Amino acid sequence: MAGVGMVNVGKHVDKSLRDLAGQAALKAMEEAGNEVPEALVVGNMLSSLVEQENLASLIGDHIGLRGACGLKVEGACGSGGLALMTGYSLVASGLFNKVLVVGVEKLFERPSADVIRGLAYAADADYELIYGVTFSGLNALLMRYYMSKYGVRYEELAYWSVLMHKNGSRNPYAQLRNEITLDDVMKSPVIADPIRLYDSCPLSDGAAAVFLVGEDVKKLTDTPVTVAGVSNSIDSTDLSSRLELDYLLASSTSARNSLKMAKVDLREVGVAEIHDAYTITAALSIESIGFAERGKAPKAWSEGRFSPGDKPSINLSGGLKSRGHPVGATGVYQVAEVVMQLRGDFPGISVPAEVGLTQNIGGAGSNVTTVVLRR
Amino acid sequence: MTTIQRVWRLKNTLLNLLASRCSVCGHVTYPPKMRCPVCGSRELREESLPREGEVLSYTIIRVPAKGFEDFTPLIIALIKLGDAKVLAEVVDVKPEEVSVGMRVVATVRRTAQTIDGGVPYVIKFKPLRS
Repeated sequence: MAGVGMVNVGKHVDKSLRDLAGQAALKAMEEAGNEVPEALVVGNMLSSLVEQENLASLIGDHIGLRGACGLKVEGACGSGGLALMTGYSLVASGLFNKVLVVGVEKLFERPSADVIRGLAYAADADYELIYGVTFSGLNALLMRYYMSKYGVRYEELAYWSVLMHKNGSRNPYAQLRNEITLDDVMKSPVIADPIRLYDSCPLSDGAAAVFLVGEDVKKLTDTPVTVAGVSNSIDSTDLSSRLELDYLLASSTSARNSLKMAKVDLREVGVAEIHDAYTITAALSIESIGFAERGKAPKAWSEGRFSPGDKPSINLSGGLKSRGHPVGATGVYQVAEVVMQLRGDFPGISVPAEVGLTQNIGGAGSNVTTVVLRR
Repeated sequence: MTTIQRVWRLKNTLLNLLASRCSVCGHVTYPPKMRCPVCGSRELREESLPREGEVLSYTIIRVPAKGFEDFTPLIIALIKLGDAKVLAEVVDVKPEEVSVGMRVVATVRRTAQTIDGGVPYVIKFKPLRS
């Protein structure tokens, strides 16, 4: 990683998809000594909302990369992580030496009903959406199942949101920088019972970029961070045929494989950014990675586990809940944030660490990428 | 919002709750797949799931998907039917009366209009009253 770039997550009515992506991309290129990438990999899920496809050409041309290789990668909310893995494999294969990975999403262009419908395209259109279920509804099914199976109370899960706003309040890139109380969460409107508004991440615009270099990375930066391991796994899009409803197979598999590739033990991970689209997603991700026993993550975070300074410190950015969730960009934000943590220049809460991990989840756990980063 | 073509194409599977049972390992999966998700076998038999089952989890959707405004609050459940699970709407019950473990039975009901103006009928579940 020779450079990273992010734009503030939020509502960017004045900026187009190409403006957001270009801004993040140029920042990453500047950090990499203004090197010119040979390939551009774009992560995005819902550019159809702004009636635009062919994103690599659009963005690549906007930042002066005519003649370079360009492609888009899609894996629902996990598109950013997949784009990173694709960029990594282009470098690792020897096809290119300098690859720019950009995640971008532009949701604030259409009424929220259209956006909510679009986000649900991550689920199974034939067997789920036909009944009118929303993405929040699917996660609510997982949440109630989890609460019922393990006897976890709503308040214990909701406390995650309080912790995330606390972390995010210090992150200048975060969308929701206000601190909140448990009472605020419990008084927020119900979206899909038991999920309330404050259990959920916001809708977001945003873009993030990372510049990957194969050989000679040390000529471009004094503080290179290495992709030590990366792995992606899929599971069923539909919840009906899942073998387990309280465990994310794709999260567990991709975490195990990326750690194995990196030759890293989970206990060595100092900082992590995980995918907390809902409080239940945080619990399932933390447990499926192996940071907590099954059914025990909410108890662990209620007792101060994963807070700043703990090993691992999780979601110092504020996570999807507070930093925001610019869908196809989120996985790239996570990587950029952990790179900055390992370099020691993250502008929010920062902790010293040698090894970091990111996990980006698409759908309700159906497409998961885990990245292990080392200083 | 769906299309007339989709409802027509899926009518048999949706209305008869057709799952696939693996001839090798016996795993039953709904929706049906082309290879067994457990053992990878392609020897799958179609099999209708039982029409009665039990609610494993449920949600009450207050912020609807586009096109489902008239069906809100919408109760959606994961229902255990024999050896498989099915996601569907639960009707004929007040939201506050749904519970995990509730016994339900399949019924054919109208759902939201398709983009192209069709009025599709699908399987929903209602409480099983003894």
